[in-house]
Amino acid sequence: MAETQLDDVRKVFTETDGNEIVAVNDVSIDIEDGEFLVLVGPSGCGKSTTLRMIAGLETISDGDIRLDDRVINDVPAKDRDIAMVFQSYALYPHMTVRENMAFGLEESTDLSDDEIAARVEETAEMMGIDPLLDRKPEELSGGQQQRVALGRAIVREPAVFLMDEPLSNLDAKLRAQMRTELQQLQEQLETTTVYVTHDQTEAMTMGDRIAILNDGELQQVGTPLECYHEPANVFVADFIGEPAMNFFDVTRRDADGDGAVLVNETLEYTVSADISTAIGDRDDLVLGVRPEDISIERSEGDQRRADGHTVPASVTVVEPTGDENIVYLDLGADRSERIIATIDGMSQVEAGDRVVVHVPEDAVHVFDGETNEALHNRRVESNEPRVPNV
Amino acid sequence: MSEKSVTTEEAAEQTAMKRVTDGITLGRVGLYATLIGLVGFYLLPIESGLVTSIKTPTGLDNTFPFLPPLDAGWITFEKWQVAFDYLAPGMVNSMLFTIPSTILCAILGSMAAYGLTLVDWRGQIAVLALFIAGIFVPYQAVIVPLFQFWSQYMQLGARLSFLWGLPLLEPHYATILELIITHTAYGIPIVTLLFRSQYKTMSNEMIEAARLDGASVWRVYRRIVLPLSIPMFAVVFIFQFTQIWNEFLFSLTIIGSTNDPAASATLILSGLGQSLEGTDYPLRMAGAFITALPTLLVYVLFADKFAEGVQT
Repeated sequence: MAETQLDDVRKVFTETDGNEIVAVNDVSIDIEDGEFLVLVGPSGCGKSTTLRMIAGLETISDGDIRLDDRVINDVPAKDRDIAMVFQSYALYPHMTVRENMAFGLEESTDLSDDEIAARVEETAEMMGIDPLLDRKPEELSGGQQQRVALGRAIVREPAVFLMDEPLSNLDAKLRAQMRTELQQLQEQLETTTVYVTHDQTEAMTMGDRIAILNDGELQQVGTPLECYHEPANVFVADFIGEPAMNFFDVTRRDADGDGAVLVNETLEYTVSADISTAIGDRDDLVLGVRPEDISIERSEGDQRRADGHTVPASVTVVEPTGDENIVYLDLGADRSERIIATIDGMSQVEAGDRVVVHVPEDAVHVFDGETNEALHNRRVESNEPRVPNV
Repeated sequence: MSEKSVTTEEAAEQTAMKRVTDGITLGRVGLYATLIGLVGFYLLPIESGLVTSIKTPTGLDNTFPFLPPLDAGWITFEKWQVAFDYLAPGMVNSMLFTIPSTILCAILGSMAAYGLTLVDWRGQIAVLALFIAGIFVPYQAVIVPLFQFWSQYMQLGARLSFLWGLPLLEPHYATILELIITHTAYGIPIVTLLFRSQYKTMSNEMIEAARLDGASVWRVYRRIVLPLSIPMFAVVFIFQFTQIWNEFLFSLTIIGSTNDPAASATLILSGLGQSLEGTDYPLRMAGAFITALPTLLVYVLFADKFAEGVQT
């Protein structure tokens, strides 16, 4: 168990023709002792490289990685007291499950054979793989192999667990089940864990905190709900949440009093004084709103409500998922903008319906159009934030 | 009633006939004829050798080479006995250098391939290029330097002279040692390449997992890579054993004479049955079969693993 710190960690790959590619750019994260941190981002964002640098499988171009205040940049992988679970499980095919699990203890500790055997049995029992101990990996199903890979990491009782998309080869149902189980295990073991995934659902549901990476740059580190409700920029707002947030490129126009109106060809959205203040005198803006914050009202003709928070729309597609409907709508008379809303599964909306879309002001996000940084995030009024729709 | 049943039987017979003839097309007939022809083509020399080896001089004169001795009086196994007596010391010598160099080639080649494929270090490609170049060095180019190297510079016989007084050691083992080293050095490049082709398909994540499990570079080789390359070892054993056992040029260069106590089986075989009175074909044939026997034996022993190894 250990505290892990990444301090301005940088990784530069040099191609054969001398080109330098920055895979990870000055990433700093403090991972607390016992914390479950999820590194999430699209493929190629540098999350796996970051993980491999912590493991010692990749050299660090610049910066420091510390384990309990000890810089481990030059400590070889085998001496780092770190266990990793790979996407391909990476089990040793010529060894039985028992030998697979014992291997790490034999190589990295001075434990006697009896002690090792006892620890393997104990861990296998905890993981529910004790009936498989004498089988070879090729005789196991994917899910069982995954469990063995996990057991092999756990049995070592390392300072840090690293997991590189360990669930991505499982079918959807097993993945959901393993997600819960992994979380419970981690809570029980209280071992610092860094978990890499491209799946924002995994990130949201599993992490104590999540770190979102894009193009080698750290975008935001925070609890899942912080990242969801208070995204630092357009990328985070877009990446976290399913279906993704709706974005509209808008410009600012002064309105009566302290407020302002955010406009583009289709939209005219009135905002009050505090949002207007947050915007300042910036003109190039992005308006964002999550699908689940949008409500749809039936309308006869193109009526707008007087508060400036509604817009007429027509339904193009309805995707029912049971508990809710995902509704795709075209906005405005010329239908140039598209918006996605998730509404209650029982409400009757059909493709072709003419409706009015209502976007409440306390749910909107405003971003700077040039830097993509968040200027204003939605208010979370209740003490108990709504459970994100993932 | 009966007429009807007869007609149905006839019909059944006709369809059965049709089914048989349907399967036989001109292409299939051609294919099998060619295959049988090829089998004959390849087996005929072996068959001729075998029958020749058991013929008496009269038998040899009175039959075609590929026909068996037609008279019981024309058969003799004496030549096999003679050939065996001549070749036995050579077979022992050949074993003495073939087995160690085959094993050394396999072990060193596999280690080199591991170091060049699964361990990361600078300049790997340059070293690999040297290995590849080693495969293409022709035997003829190294004969003279090789002879000078052993006979003038190394002179193992003289340098190791303190050993020959020990029991079980004899002076001609110096020559055997020279052959072991030469064959090992010459075999390593190709063996390295064979192992490398397998190691390249090995999961990188598995090797990394072993490193994270605390295993050193050597322990990863010993406990993960080596056990997984056993099928490839079988391929290499068969391949190198056959190569080194059948090799003639190095034997000729390093050993020199058929009468040398270190003479190899192939070297002795080259002079077997040759005399001023003419060529003793039965003796030569018997000798050839005896000399070829160990390579067949090795193939039979490692055939299972060989098949596995060829697949990877």
